[in-house]
Amino acid sequence: MSILYDDAQQSIANESRRVLEARVSKDELLPLLESTGQYHKGFWNTAKEQGWTALALPEEYDGLALGLVELGLIAHQAGRTLSGAPFLTSSFGAAKAIELYGSDAQKSKWLPGLASGETIGAVTIASGANALPQRPRTSFANDQVDGIATGVSGGLAADIAIILAQGSGGPTLIIAELAAVERQAIASFDNSRCVANLHFKATPAEILVDGQGARDAALHILALQAVITAHEQTGGAESLMETARDYAITRRAFGQVIGAFQSVKHRIAELYALVELARANCIHAASQQGAEDFIATAAAARLSATEAYDTAARDCIQIHGGIGVTWEAGLHLHMRRARSLAIEQGNSLFWEDILVDSLIGEAA
Amino acid sequence: MSDIETYRKNAATWLESVVQTYGKAARKGLSESEDLALGRRYQNAKFEAGYAGINWPTEYGGQGLSHIEKVTFESEEMKHGFPSGYFGISLGMPVPILMQFGPDQEFAKERVLKALKGEEIWCQLFSEPAGGSDLAGLRTKAEPDGNGWKINGQKLWTSWAQYSDYGVIVVRTDPNVPKHKGLTYFWVDMKAPGVDVRPIKLAGGDSHVNEVFFDDVKISDDHRMSPVGGGFAVAMATLMIERYVATDSAGFGPHLELFIDLAKAIEINGKPAIADGRIRQQIARNYAMRSGLNAITARAMLMMKAGMTPGPEGSLNKLVSVRSRQKLSELAIDLQGSEGFAYDDHAQQKDNWTSSWINAPTGRIAGGADEMLLNTIAEKILGLPQDHRPDKGIAFNQIPA
Repeated sequence: MSILYDDAQQSIANESRRVLEARVSKDELLPLLESTGQYHKGFWNTAKEQGWTALALPEEYDGLALGLVELGLIAHQAGRTLSGAPFLTSSFGAAKAIELYGSDAQKSKWLPGLASGETIGAVTIASGANALPQRPRTSFANDQVDGIATGVSGGLAADIAIILAQGSGGPTLIIAELAAVERQAIASFDNSRCVANLHFKATPAEILVDGQGARDAALHILALQAVITAHEQTGGAESLMETARDYAITRRAFGQVIGAFQSVKHRIAELYALVELARANCIHAASQQGAEDFIATAAAARLSATEAYDTAARDCIQIHGGIGVTWEAGLHLHMRRARSLAIEQGNSLFWEDILVDSLIGEAA
Repeated sequence: MSDIETYRKNAATWLESVVQTYGKAARKGLSESEDLALGRRYQNAKFEAGYAGINWPTEYGGQGLSHIEKVTFESEEMKHGFPSGYFGISLGMPVPILMQFGPDQEFAKERVLKALKGEEIWCQLFSEPAGGSDLAGLRTKAEPDGNGWKINGQKLWTSWAQYSDYGVIVVRTDPNVPKHKGLTYFWVDMKAPGVDVRPIKLAGGDSHVNEVFFDDVKISDDHRMSPVGGGFAVAMATLMIERYVATDSAGFGPHLELFIDLAKAIEINGKPAIADGRIRQQIARNYAMRSGLNAITARAMLMMKAGMTPGPEGSLNKLVSVRSRQKLSELAIDLQGSEGFAYDDHAQQKDNWTSSWINAPTGRIAGGADEMLLNTIAEKILGLPQDHRPDKGIAFNQIPA
């Protein structure tokens, strides 16, 4: 069953949109592309100040006890304006891992800081191109983690990381503090994501889940994050669709606005279809948290949102013609973000397999 | 359990109870006239059980419920392959419009009741050789004739006209004004002298559509359902009346489960097709698309229950689902390799890939071609401009041929 947003949820959407549109601008985001390791402080301060970091966490650890639906709404707005940092999703994933699988001591230690936003979390489950490895590259033994976790979004700025590492009995979900960990910044096409390789060397770590359940737990965290990311992608796609529409009804060529040409108007109508399918899947997935088919709904949201954002980025620029490819116009900010979000939380190929496995009744 | 869930459960139970008599298995091997006769009995059984005219006023023989109950019943009914297709157009558009615009309400009530019981069928005479997507470009004309009118011309793609007792028709009554303004709306007796119905065999082999010729067909003015020159508005009202219909994210083709079953049973180069990335990608993509459409439908139902108007995204269903079904059906035939040649023109497009494939183009054209749907989305939802229309504002008889 899907849901309709209630008044409280609608006001979260409206308020977050108002705040973000006032505080995050293209002019501030463009310079971030040209330096490595910088994120938009205003964005993250806003997230903390507005309580978005606490939104989906339990009340007893200073959270607001709301869920995927509400955080999804924020992510959608963040996607529209282009979020200035990846932590909304990465800290949420880290916090959910601790909330769902951690001990009371671990929860007390980490959740209040994640809720206030003073602590930034990252999640690293992939080993290179493998989003959910059978045998992770990092290893865990004697309460220490070793090895290199590559391409960790938010890794440059995070205080803690949730890691899927190879333990004595197979993949193990662990948590480690990053203060003493060597981080190698990745010069990326989307630098405000603060992507880093994390070099663990006898880094102290604690177990969240080991044994059979570790990979399932990792998949569950990925799915939770994927639903949030899908909302962000849908927001980005929606914004691009509107930008394309606005340009098409003002730009004139051959004696009429270009939106009167079917090659242009149909392209935008197709974007509308992709955006609405993605939105519907996102709302559905968020409402299915805890349900038996949650992983499949998350996968569907992820696949349709990735397709919507990529296509919108491609087509919106195409509709703009020459001006669309300029640095100044900033459409490339979305084009870049569409790809970085397509990779974070497992790519489409990964989710296609997860989805088909769940449809034919096989475990990942 | 909510009221609507109780309603759904009761409807499902009743439908199960008549499956053996009217369902897919009972229809197998029947000629079309036998199938129609079975369909009439099924429609009457629905009427007796209180499942005909679900959202129509009780004074017309309906049940006086809302479109939520109607859509709920239809989505349950769709699962069984009942012979309800003959009445889909009739009860979907012409008969409700007769209730609303019929000049003689006693006559209308009589007709509505017979249509609800499956005794009479109505067709909708809109499209023509020169006007399909461009409905207002139609040429069939009605000229004053004594106290009434005389109709001459040709209609095309008229579903079930060969079995229809009556029809609603839009004709040109004034060629000297711009095309939308010279149209008038009537009902006609399909058995009247001068009406000639000729079935058209479609690519898939069936002939549910017709061309209908009108040769000096005389009707009295009490057949008129719009002001003279006001027919286009009633035609639009006719097309709007079916806003709330059960949708099918499978595009009225087979369910995705059938594709998965096929992929499980077949090998590609000695490896199971279900393990092949190309096949898996199609399954995943189609699932994501269909689940999106289902979620849109679920939200539309919730909005209706809350007394709100569903969002415009509901208009995506046919556009997105039918063209996807077309491609998936092609792939399903490919998958079967040399076993994919078989063709049964009595197979149902809901459960046969080849039937689904050959009939898919009809689905992408009938009831609004993909291109028209994209135009509607672009113009009505996104506020993009209309196409350049050289015939705009020009008297119909001055439009260059």
